[in-house]
Amino acid sequence: MANLKPILLVEDNPNDIELTLAALEAGQLANDIVICRDGAEALDFVYRRGPHEKREAQDPAVILLDLKLPKIDGLEVLAALKKDPQTRAIPIVMLTSSREETDVVRSYDLGVNAFVVKPVGFDEFFAAIKELGVFWAVLNEPPPHRGGWPSNV
Amino acid sequence: MDRRYDAAPRLDLTACDREPIHIVGSVQPHGFLLTLDAGSLVIAQASANAPAAASAGSGLDAALPELVSVVRRYLDAPPTEDHGAHYLRTVTLGGDAACQTYEVAAHRVGDLVVLELEEVADPDVDAGLDAHSPRLRAFVQRLRLARSIEDLCAIVAEDVRSITGFDRVLVYRFDRDWHGTVLAEDGNDTLPSYLDLRFPATDIPVQARELYRRNRLRIIPDAGYVPVPIQPALTPAGKPLDLSQSVLRSVSPVHVEYMRNMGTGASMSVSILVDDELWGLVSCHNREPRRVPLQARNACDFLTQIFALQLFANERSAQAEQRLALGAVQSRLLGFMAEEDSFVDGLLNHPDDVMALANAAGAAIVTGDRCRLIGSTPTETQVRTLYDWLASRPDEVEVFAEESMSELLPEADAFADRASGLLAISVSKRYASYILWFRPEVVRTVKWGGNPVKAVTPGADGEPDRLHPRKSFEIWKETLKGRALPWTGPEVDAARDLRTSVIGIVLRRAEELAAMSEELQRSNKELEAFSYSVSHDLRAPFRHIVGYSNLLKTREGANLSEKGQHYVDTIIEAAFSAGTLVDNLLSFSQMGRHTLNRIAGDMNALVEEERRKAMRDVPAERKVRWEIGPLGRAHADPFMLRLVIENLLSNALKYSRDRTESVIEFGRLPPKDGEAVFYVRDNGVGFDMAYVDKLFGVFQRLHRVEEFEGTGIGLANVRRIVERHGGHTWAEGKLGEGATFFFTLPLRGEDI
Repeated sequence: MANLKPILLVEDNPNDIELTLAALEAGQLANDIVICRDGAEALDFVYRRGPHEKREAQDPAVILLDLKLPKIDGLEVLAALKKDPQTRAIPIVMLTSSREETDVVRSYDLGVNAFVVKPVGFDEFFAAIKELGVFWAVLNEPPPHRGGWPSNV
Repeated sequence: MDRRYDAAPRLDLTACDREPIHIVGSVQPHGFLLTLDAGSLVIAQASANAPAAASAGSGLDAALPELVSVVRRYLDAPPTEDHGAHYLRTVTLGGDAACQTYEVAAHRVGDLVVLELEEVADPDVDAGLDAHSPRLRAFVQRLRLARSIEDLCAIVAEDVRSITGFDRVLVYRFDRDWHGTVLAEDGNDTLPSYLDLRFPATDIPVQARELYRRNRLRIIPDAGYVPVPIQPALTPAGKPLDLSQSVLRSVSPVHVEYMRNMGTGASMSVSILVDDELWGLVSCHNREPRRVPLQARNACDFLTQIFALQLFANERSAQAEQRLALGAVQSRLLGFMAEEDSFVDGLLNHPDDVMALANAAGAAIVTGDRCRLIGSTPTETQVRTLYDWLASRPDEVEVFAEESMSELLPEADAFADRASGLLAISVSKRYASYILWFRPEVVRTVKWGGNPVKAVTPGADGEPDRLHPRKSFEIWKETLKGRALPWTGPEVDAARDLRTSVIGIVLRRAEELAAMSEELQRSNKELEAFSYSVSHDLRAPFRHIVGYSNLLKTREGANLSEKGQHYVDTIIEAAFSAGTLVDNLLSFSQMGRHTLNRIAGDMNALVEEERRKAMRDVPAERKVRWEIGPLGRAHADPFMLRLVIENLLSNALKYSRDRTESVIEFGRLPPKDGEAVFYVRDNGVGFDMAYVDKLFGVFQRLHRVEEFEGTGIGLANVRRIVERHGGHTWAEGKLGEGATFFFTLPLRGEDI
C-alpha cells in the first residue's frame, strides 16, 4: 500500500473531520487519510517540514481544503500550492460551508480544481464526499512524473 | 443730395451716419452769427444776413459797440458749468422803423467766440424765466405723484406743450439698440397722433445722437427756411466752423425733408439725458412755422432736466422694486424646492412663479432624459434643439440671456413666436440640466395705442414716403423681427440667484445621498460580514446535527426503540429545514448585493431550461401539462431572472401536485406603461385574496408546513429581483382554483 497516495483533509472542526471521515470510510477507499488542523500544518505536510519532515516523499492524491482555517487560511494555502510549480499539479478541492460567491470566484482564480459546498442533507453530504474521494483518489489520473527528485512517485 | 434718394431707402438713411451735420457751414435765417477772435474781438466770420457793418475783418467795437462789454465780461469770467451757448443779454438794433430785438448768446470754439443774435418776435411777451417758475413748481409737484414712466412722460409732454404752444409734443425713449418708442404725447389734434409708434435707430443717426447729447436743445422755427451761409466758410485756422453748440445751426436737408413729410412746419427737440446718456427726446412739432423765445426754451430744458433726474430715481427704484418682487418669487420657489424630494417637482408644481421669476411667457426644465414644459413654449423637440445647442457651447456661463435666438441659432427662427428670447441657467454640469425661460417675438406683442394707419400719407406714387414715420415703423418691424423684449438686469440676476439656490439644493441632496450611501455601504459591509459568518458558522452546526443524527440512525439504529428512531428522524428533519432556511436566507441577501448585469435574451429558451430543471424533481408518474406561449425577448440579468422563473415554476408545481393533471401556463401580455408583463398560472390550491399582501413577504407562508414544505423566501426573492430590475409583481388567485403570478420588466427602446 506504500504506493497509494494519501488523501489530505485540512479541517479544523472536529465534527466535520469525523463526519467527513465517516463518509470517506463509506467510500471504502484504501488510501491513507491525513488530517491537518490548520493551513500551516497542511503546508508543512506538503513540503515535508517540521513534524512531517520524515514522511515518505509522496504528494497527496487530493487535498480537501476547508476555507476558514486557523493560522493560514484555506485560500492562502491554495494560493501557495498553486503558485509553486512543484505542487501545482496536486488536485485541491475546496470543501467548505461557505456559499459566498466571492470565495468561489477567488478560489477559481487561484486555480482550485473543484469547489464543493458541504450540503446540509446527510445523504447528499455522504454522496458528495464519497464521490470526491473516489474521483480524485482512484479515477483521476495525475500528470506523469517528469523525472527529477522522486517527490511524486 | 437729392440724387442719393434714388438708391434703396435703407442705404440712404444709413448714409446719414456719415453726414457731417455739425459743420454744415450755414445757419437758419431767424438770426445771424458772428465769430470773433477772442483776443482782439475782430470779426472773423459772419453769416450772410448779418448787418453790413458786421462783416469779416471789422472790430466788434465798430460793428456792434453795445455788445463789447458783455462779451468781455463773458470772456473774463466764462461760465464753468455749461459748455453750451450762454445767454448774454437782449439788444435792440437798428433805427426806430426797422428796429429788431435780439437775444444774444455766446459760446467758445477754440480761439473764437461765437456770437449768435436770435430775433425776438415779440419782445413784450418775454418776461424771463420768472414767468415760468409757478409752472415749474407745479411740474415738480406733479412729477412726484407720477406712478409710472409713462405718467412722467405725459406730464412732461403736457407742460412743454403749454410753455411752447406747439401743436404736438411727443416724448420718446430709445431702447438698447437706439430704436425709439413714443411713450407719451400731448397735442391739439392738428397733427396726427404718433403715440406708441416705433422708430428705427436709423431715423436718428449716430452723429445726430451725439450732437443731441452735447447740445440738449434744437429748434427749427420754419422748415421752409433757406440756409444762410457763413462767410468765409473757414475759420482763420483754416477749418470749417464747428456748430455743435450753435442755437442757429442749420440742420441736415434730410431732416428738413423728414419734417415736411410729417407735415410739420416747425420743430423743437430737447434731449433727455439720464446719467449723461441719451435716454430719449422731447420732440415738439407745429404745423405752421413757430418761434419759441429763448427763455421758454430754457424753461423746457430745465423742466426736462428735472424730469430726467426724476426718471433716473424712478428707474432706480423700479429696478429695486423689481428686484424685491423677484426676490419674493425666488424665496417662494426656494421654499417649494426645499419641500420636495426633487427641486424639479418644487418648480413644476408652481409654474406661475417659475415664469414670474423672469417675466417669461414659458419655461422648461430639461435634464438628460426628461423635458418638462411650462406655459407657452416651443415643442419638446424644439426645446431639445435649444438644449443641445446650449449644452454644446464651449464657454459655459452661469446665465445665458439672449433676446434674438434666431441670430445665434437659425433653427430658432421656426419658433420665434414663442422663444425669440431665451434665458437659461445650467443647474448641473454633470447631468447637463438646464432651466430655460422663453419670451415671444416682440413685434407680435406691440401695443397699439394710436392708429398707425391714420399716419400714412401717400407720396407722389401712392406709396408711403420713405422718410415718414409709417415707413419708419415698417423698417423698425423689419429690424425687430425675431426679437424679444430684452431681459432686464434684475431678471437675469433672479435667474442667477435661482441657479445658486438650485445648485445649493442639489449639492445638499448629493451630500445627503453620499452620506446615505456611505451609511449603506457600511451596513452592507456589516451585512456581508454577518452573512459570511452565518454561512460558515450557523450552517455548520445544522449540518453536524443532521450528520450525527444520520450516523446515529444508520450505525446505532438497531439499539433505538421505535420512539427513539422517530425522535432521531424529527431531529434530522428539523435541523435539515433550519439548514435549508439558512441557505435560502443567504441567497436572499446575496440577491440584494448582486450587481445587475442586464442582457437582452430569449425568454422562451430560459423558461424551457428552468422547466426541464424543475421537472427533474417531479415523480415520473405525475401528469403535468405545460402551456408556454410566445414570450419574446426580455432585458434582464439572466442569472437573477433564472431564479425568478425557477421559483415561480417550482411553486406552480408544488401547489398543483394534488391535481390529477397539473396545468401550468407561462405567458406574456401586451406591454403596459413601458413594461413587459409576464405571468405564470397554475391550477393548484390557489389562495385567498385576503392574504395577497402576505404572499411576497419574507417568511410569509399561507400553508402549514405539513401541507407544503418551504421557507417562505421564494416569492420574496422573486419580488426583490423584479423590483431591482425596476419592475413589479402581483398575484391573483382564488382558494382551490389556482393562482396567477405576474411580473413586469421595463422595456428598452428597441423592445417596444
